[in-house]
Amino acid sequence: MGAIWLAIFMAAVVIGGFLFAWSGLYSVAASRGHWPGFSLILEFGMRSSVRTHALGIEIPNLEVPALIERGAGHFQGGCAPCHGAPGQPASPIVRAMLPVPPDLGATVPTWKANELFWIVKHGLKYTGMPAWAAQQRDDEVWAVVAFLQRLPQTSTAEYRALANLEPRQQEVPIRSLAQGGPVGTSLAACSRCHGLDGAGRASGAFPRLDIQTTDYLFMQLAAYAEGTRHSGIMQPVATELEEAEMRRLADYYSSQRPAPKQEPIGDEALRTMGESLATVGLPDQGIPPCMSCHAEDAAARDPLYPALAGQYAGYTSQQLELFKTGRRRATPAAEIMSVIAERLTSEHIKAVSLYLAGLPAARAAP
Amino acid sequence: MEMQQSALSPAGADAEGIATLSWIMFGGGAIIFLGVLLLTICAYWGGDTLRRRLASDEFVFLGGIVFPTVTLVALLIYGLMLTGARVMATEADALRIEVTGEQWWWRVGYTGQGVVTANEIRIPLGRQVEIKLSSADVIHSFWAPNLAGKVDMIPGVVNLIRLRARKAGTYRGQCAEYCGGPHALMAFHVIVLEPAEFDDWLAKQRQPASVPSASKQGEKLFMSVGCRACHSIRGTSAAGVIGPDLTHVGGRISIAAATLPNTAESFSRWIRDNQHIKPNNRMPPFGILSDRDLAMLGAYLEGLQ
Repeated sequence: MGAIWLAIFMAAVVIGGFLFAWSGLYSVAASRGHWPGFSLILEFGMRSSVRTHALGIEIPNLEVPALIERGAGHFQGGCAPCHGAPGQPASPIVRAMLPVPPDLGATVPTWKANELFWIVKHGLKYTGMPAWAAQQRDDEVWAVVAFLQRLPQTSTAEYRALANLEPRQQEVPIRSLAQGGPVGTSLAACSRCHGLDGAGRASGAFPRLDIQTTDYLFMQLAAYAEGTRHSGIMQPVATELEEAEMRRLADYYSSQRPAPKQEPIGDEALRTMGESLATVGLPDQGIPPCMSCHAEDAAARDPLYPALAGQYAGYTSQQLELFKTGRRRATPAAEIMSVIAERLTSEHIKAVSLYLAGLPAARAAP
Repeated sequence: MEMQQSALSPAGADAEGIATLSWIMFGGGAIIFLGVLLLTICAYWGGDTLRRRLASDEFVFLGGIVFPTVTLVALLIYGLMLTGARVMATEADALRIEVTGEQWWWRVGYTGQGVVTANEIRIPLGRQVEIKLSSADVIHSFWAPNLAGKVDMIPGVVNLIRLRARKAGTYRGQCAEYCGGPHALMAFHVIVLEPAEFDDWLAKQRQPASVPSASKQGEKLFMSVGCRACHSIRGTSAAGVIGPDLTHVGGRISIAAATLPNTAESFSRWIRDNQHIKPNNRMPPFGILSDRDLAMLGAYLEGLQ
């Protein structure tokens, strides 16, 4: 008997629930807020889920200036529009969301770094918080986390310096107007990280663009826009660009006069090993010399191949690791590099990146 | 061009010995098999006297112990004489060649001649040839059955094979030890030439590449796109040593270790689709090149006669 009553009760719950949903009496209005106490239950479930899923995520060293700068650069374009930033309150439109995107300066300290990583990488269902656009790029997610941990102690002035929001960008419209087009706003987005001169930043947080050819820069922007080169930072920016804009930006940066040679940095022995890899390779291990394809002289190099001389070591080694692990392989050119990068050890990568960074940068376009 | 790969059609002293031994074994085996069949018939249906003789101790002793012992000892002695004859000293005027097995092609060097080629061995008719066999990676086996038996190529070891061709022609050889995925696509050709013809060929191989002026654009592309990182073309700035030397690649009869015929189209196909033609080979696929670029490179390489 008991079993029959239980079955009838369950059926009533299911049918009743369906009828309630069908009736539309429950309001999904963001303006109405949740029922009293319901927010607490949701918050409890969310926090528990993040805590459990973030277990076992190893935290790398985040006290790296390049990581913090890269995170800040993305934060301004990717996070601040909803969460606000020091000195920039979020828009009233965003304030009317349910839940309201939290002020990160206040909430970040309540999370551990691995939990922040998990949230930034995977996003949060039903909250409007999106997942990281390029799931292959944990390194970028960590850069955002590195900056987030810094955020609570960051003053408005510090933030504006980190994200490069200072008046330099006023020069932009004038220059780009001279080039005849609406590059202004997109160049502002580029220059926040890569600089107006395309020299990136001394920390190596962002790659130099001033040494690259127009063709190479254009192909990379196109690959980001198509999603064949993965980056949660560059893809959103590139997707916004029209093809003609991409060309103008590529032209603009490739015509910059490269900044002077960087001082050689790092271990002498490592750089010697890097020099030998770059100029001779390791033939018995199937590793050709870098300079055969990435010749310093742009005229001796296929226009689709990037210049490496003078590029920041951190960027070169990061990209080689992406090639090596198959996370940058979706374009025909990347396919070539992946085949070779698979044969490199992490020590090779470090050595060769260091050596290349010490070479004088050559001009891409005459 | 007739290209054969057959141990039953010998064109060299070693291969002749091996073929003779094989025929003796086939023939002898057939005769013994027929004899045993005949004795079996006699044992079932023969007359009483015959059957009694077959069942006698003497017959079992002679047929079961003496006969096999004598036959096998004779075969062993013949076999030892034959293989012993193969262990000959290298003659003073022998042509010395070094062949290295690599996944999945053959690096061929003519010792002291400054000639490096790939996947194709040209030798003079009648003259002794000493080939030093080694491997750059895993165990391969060098087998040109028309000319000689198999010899393994073992990493860290140099094995010798000496052979002498007795018939001019083009013979196919094959890696005879499984060496990874595209093992079956690791073949080569041995081309036996009249001595004078061979000398001409060798003299030409010593020359740097001669590039037709129409191919200068192809050459420029070859350098800028990075082919030179792994391939050498003597006489140009291409000095890579990872892949096959291409100085006179257009004059070879095949490309990619006897996988594709030597045509401009084959080169173009190989450059772009090599990972489909020979999966996991060490060359990256050059999908970045346009059809026009590929045609230019193909024409350039085919022109390197």
